Amino acid sequence: MNDRVCISQVLIDRAPAILKAYGLGSCIAVAIRDPMSKVGGLGHMLLPLRPGNNALGSEGKYVDAGISQMIDQLVLFGANRQGLVAKIAGGANMFETTDQTLINSIGARNAKSARKTLERLGIPLVGEEIGGNRGRTVEFDLATGVLLVYCAHENEPISL
Amino acid sequence: MPFRELNEVQLDALKEISNIGMGHAATALSQMIGQTVSLRVPHVTISDVSRVPDYLGGAERLMVGITLQILGDARGNIMLLFPQESAHHLLGSLLGSRSKALVMNEMAVSALKEVGNILASAYLSALGNLLNITLIPSVPLLAYDMAGAMVDYVLIELSQAGDLALMIETVFSGSSTQSITIKGHFFLLPDPATLDIFLRMIGVQHE
Repeated sequence: MNDRVCISQVLIDRAPAILKAYGLGSCIAVAIRDPMSKVGGLGHMLLPLRPGNNALGSEGKYVDAGISQMIDQLVLFGANRQGLVAKIAGGANMFETTDQTLINSIGARNAKSARKTLERLGIPLVGEEIGGNRGRTVEFDLATGVLLVYCAHENEPISL
Repeated sequence: MPFRELNEVQLDALKEISNIGMGHAATALSQMIGQTVSLRVPHVTISDVSRVPDYLGGAERLMVGITLQILGDARGNIMLLFPQESAHHLLGSLLGSRSKALVMNEMAVSALKEVGNILASAYLSALGNLLNITLIPSVPLLAYDMAGAMVDYVLIELSQAGDLALMIETVFSGSSTQSITIKGHFFLLPDPATLDIFLRMIGVQHE
C-alpha cells in the first residue's frame, strides 16, 4: 500500500501502510506513530501558525493546527495517546538570499512551530532532518516507524 | 476577487496579456541564444495550492528554478522552470560549455539568473506598458532541486490568502538546426489583489 500526502493534507493509517510526501521545500513533514498499535500519520504542512481570527483553508495547511488535528485523528483511529512519538523533516530555505525576509525564514519558522507544538502536546520528538537548502521526499513506514528522507542530488536516503 | 469567480472573458484577457508579455520575453531570449523561440498558447489554471506541483511536471522532478517577485504597482511571483536537459543546452548556447551533464557552478548560476532577469523584465515591461502600471522584477533567485520544493516558496504568500492558486503558464521552446530543443515553463502567479488590478486595467472587471 502506498499513500501520497499532498500539501495541507494529513493522512492517518495503520501498518503495513507506507505514507509519502514528495518535494518538500520550506514545507514540513510531521510523522507521528504509536509503536504498539502501529497506527501513524503523516502531515505535509505549509505555514507555521494558524491565524486566530478568520483563518482560511484547512487545518492541515498550518503546522500547529495540523499537528493537533492529527493527534485527535490518531486517537480516533486507535492509537494510544501516551505512546505517540514524532519525527519531522523539511523546513528548508530553497532560495538563498542575503536579506532575511519573512518568506526566506519560513522553513525555520515551520520547524520551530513543529517543535513547540509537539512539546506543548507532550509528544516526544525522536528524529529530525531539518533546514539547509535542499528539497526532500519522505517515506513513513508504519510497520517499522522508520522515516526515510530522500534529498535531491543524493542517491541514499537518510533513515530516521 | 476570489479566483474561482473568473469568467470566460476575464480568463481570455489574462491569456492575452500573458501572450503579449511572453512575446517580448521570447524575442529577448531569441536574441540572447541565437535561436528562434516559439511560444505555446498561454494556459490559465486555477487549482488548489496542493496540486500546483503536479502541474509543474511532478513534485520530485529535478529542475532549475528561477523565481522573481513582482514589485511596483502590483504584486505576485514569477517562476521559471527549466528541465535539466534544457538548462544544460541553454548554458551550452550561452557560454559555449561542452560539459556532458549539467554542472551548476558559479558561472552557470549567474548566466541562468540573467536569463531569468531578461525574460521577466521583458515580460513585465510589456505588461506594464499595456496596463499602464509600473512593474519591476526583484533580483532573481535560483535553485536546482525538486520542482515541488521550489514551488513551496511561491505558494507561501498565496496560501495566506486562501487555498487556490491562479497560474498563467506559457511553454516556450527554442529550435535550431542542431535538433536541440530548449524548453522552459514561465509561470505568472499574481496575488489576489493584483488580479483585480489586472482585470480593472483591461476593463473586464464585472460590476
